Amino acid sequence: MSLRVAAALVGLALHLVVVPFVFRESRYLLGVLTTASVLSLISLGVWLTFAIGRINIGQAAFALVGGYTTAILSVKLGVSFWLCLPASGLAAALVGAVIGWPILRLKGVYFAMITLTLSEAARLAALNGGTITQGATGILNIPLPGEVTVAGVVLVPAFRALNVHLAFYYLAAILLVLGLFTVTRIASCRLGWIFRSLRQDEALAASIGVNVAKYRVLAFALGCFFAGIAGAFFTVSQQSIYPSSFGVPDSVYFMLYCFLGGLSYVSGPVVGAFVLFLGFELLHGLREYQMLTYAAIMITVMLWLPNGLLSLRLPARPDMKADTA
Amino acid sequence: MIVMEVRDLTKRFGGLVAVDHVTFQANEGEVLSIIGPNGAGKSTLFKLITSFLPRTAGRVIFQGEDITGLSAHLVARKGVVRTFQETTIFKEMSALENVVIAHHLRGRATSVGLFLNTRVARQDEAAFRDSADEILDYLGLSRVKQEEARHLPHGHLRALGIAIAMACDPKMLLLDEPFSGMNPEETDRMVEMVRGIRDRGVTILLVEHDMRAVMRLSDRIIVLNFGRKIADGTPREIQNDEAVIEAYIGREDDELGI
Amino acid sequence: MNYALIALGITLIFAIMGVLNFAHGQMYVLGGFVTYYVYGVFGLNYFVALAASAVTVACVGLAFERFLFRRVLRITTREESTMLLAAGTALLLDSLGLALFGEKQRGVAPVVAGVYEIFGAFVPASRALIFVLAFGLVGALLLFIQYTRPGRALRAIAQDKETAALQGVDINRYSALGFALGAALAGLAGGLLVTVFAVNAGAGTPISIKAFIMIMIGGAGVVSGAILGAFVLGFSEALGYFFIPGSTTYLMILVGLIVFLIFRPQGIMGKPWG
Repeated sequence: MSLRVAAALVGLALHLVVVPFVFRESRYLLGVLTTASVLSLISLGVWLTFAIGRINIGQAAFALVGGYTTAILSVKLGVSFWLCLPASGLAAALVGAVIGWPILRLKGVYFAMITLTLSEAARLAALNGGTITQGATGILNIPLPGEVTVAGVVLVPAFRALNVHLAFYYLAAILLVLGLFTVTRIASCRLGWIFRSLRQDEALAASIGVNVAKYRVLAFALGCFFAGIAGAFFTVSQQSIYPSSFGVPDSVYFMLYCFLGGLSYVSGPVVGAFVLFLGFELLHGLREYQMLTYAAIMITVMLWLPNGLLSLRLPARPDMKADTA
Repeated sequence: MIVMEVRDLTKRFGGLVAVDHVTFQANEGEVLSIIGPNGAGKSTLFKLITSFLPRTAGRVIFQGEDITGLSAHLVARKGVVRTFQETTIFKEMSALENVVIAHHLRGRATSVGLFLNTRVARQDEAAFRDSADEILDYLGLSRVKQEEARHLPHGHLRALGIAIAMACDPKMLLLDEPFSGMNPEETDRMVEMVRGIRDRGVTILLVEHDMRAVMRLSDRIIVLNFGRKIADGTPREIQNDEAVIEAYIGREDDELGI
Repeated sequence: MNYALIALGITLIFAIMGVLNFAHGQMYVLGGFVTYYVYGVFGLNYFVALAASAVTVACVGLAFERFLFRRVLRITTREESTMLLAAGTALLLDSLGLALFGEKQRGVAPVVAGVYEIFGAFVPASRALIFVLAFGLVGALLLFIQYTRPGRALRAIAQDKETAALQGVDINRYSALGFALGAALAGLAGGLLVTVFAVNAGAGTPISIKAFIMIMIGGAGVVSGAILGAFVLGFSEALGYFFIPGSTTYLMILVGLIVFLIFRPQGIMGKPWG
């Protein structure tokens, strides 16, 4: 059994078994870890756009789309959360595909700026969405996930009846594992190589028959899907959503998590999100200097480890790279 | 047998006409070279044919089918593949990986199939590797196939560019200045390789400045000047063509300021 | 007019260093705070306060360029690194502002009282003053870039860094100058507008966003584009708010911008890229 697989299994055991068992009574800790998991998921989505050579500062917009989809479906139409979840992902992916098609022609700073605009535009759209999005008041009292029964057998009990924090922790953990598995799979199969070819030279890729437009949108939409799912999650865990739930600063953070974890590694965004978010929470005691110290540390890491935290431990395995030079 | 027909292909950039109603035919299995002084529009012509630039007017007909205006990747799919003037390769992949990924068009698995690593996907991958090994071997790159592409010396890079194009199993190969920056030895080797590719049944369209190589290799030559075709014939005919001589020498005079 | 100052500042930095100054809005806020303290709290002359703002923010810019950006530009292989560093600096300044100045809004009384009547519209004297000052600053900047030696050096670098270096232009020094100047412009804008609008620590991000919008409209890295973008935005805002109150205006502006960029990604005056 290779070191990598062993490490993955240990991580899995920790994440799914040890931590929840040990900390099952600690609301705060579970909450923090849950949030970190979901932030990792969103960042994985951003990683996918980095993988095709684009800087995406628009992820918040799609998280918002996902969140509102779930909110509207469950509050106004009484749809079960378990259906809302994939629906949110699909909604976000769809919007991503439609918007992505034209804007993915842009690159570099220009793409970054237009995605930044998207983040802000999404917030304004939610603010001015009239009766659908309820504007600034947001949508409140979103019900907790209900139970899932198949043929009379309860697969997932209603969240109300459980240690809610633990339940959400597990949901987040499972989503993260699935997400990480998906992205790892993509990166190591030929799709990953196609994406890599797009990142390194789009013209060359076209000349060998790669349908550049199609694959670009595919990567982007997939990233948006992750954001949509995450948005749905936050909406039910907070049981509310507002236009300001996901905004420009969040988009910037997701990007930073990817970057600081290490863009060459699939697990980069996960490591980045966990380390940074947990780090932020740990600095809680510093009160008003919390943000400042956090920012200072972030910049320091950028200066000394430009290839991300993971570059300390691991040389990038060729089939996992997402880097440009 | 005519494999490609270019009719009145024109490209205008604002007021500048880069390619002016160029018309010619390429016969199956021949090496057709396009030459001309700098700025004559040769590379632009390539980009027009392979849809890397939108045309202003004209048609391109390949194997009886009008491929004008098809998007670049579809043109490749039809069997018309180009190489690039600059050393264009996937810099961070090894030479082998470069050629393997270039087999993209031969893939039978769908995207979902790739994700799930179905048997078809795995068969594809294995076939691509074998084919890549063969191509790299043919172009003399076997020894460096694990090297990261950007570390390769110039001559190998040009060869790799051709290897990538060959992986697409082209019926027609457009080589954009493959001999540039090569010393006589490398040029000779490249000439042999191009001949070999032609012998495999691939029609070759060649843009080049190196006259020795062009004269040795070509079955026919087309000469462009200021975007217009001024001559079309065998190497011998071209060498003696007045318009051609004038074009080249006229240019020289300008450059010397005479 | 004030918008033009902001747009020019960020354009300058982008043109010289190729960095999108995410922290631009925060520098504006910093400038506002400095003016607040110097003029509003310590009671010194307004122009002194403005100068103080400019100098303070310029120093910050200098520090950023010298210690952060220069190093990252040297050792990084990715083009995203500088952008992300810029985002990091924005965060830094944002939190710094929060820590130093707290969350309260600070405003400063208008420098001059009274109202003028111009062409039938009532214009508060303070706004008129700001307009004049901003106009003057923009003009001075344009003259500086056009006619002075450092100005020409900056332009040379903006056009072609390598060639400029070959011609003997000290890239490091002028990069620092460019960054400092761009930052100073933001600070001045902040100092000017703090007399009209209050600033608070969190106002940086929306202003950065406006700055981005302006250069997206006009074309990043081009001076004329910056001014054009500033005018288009100012105009659209005024027009929009007149007809459609509330934030819907901005939504329409943004959507319009996105559509515009799809067709003309380099903005009105921008150089075609890639």
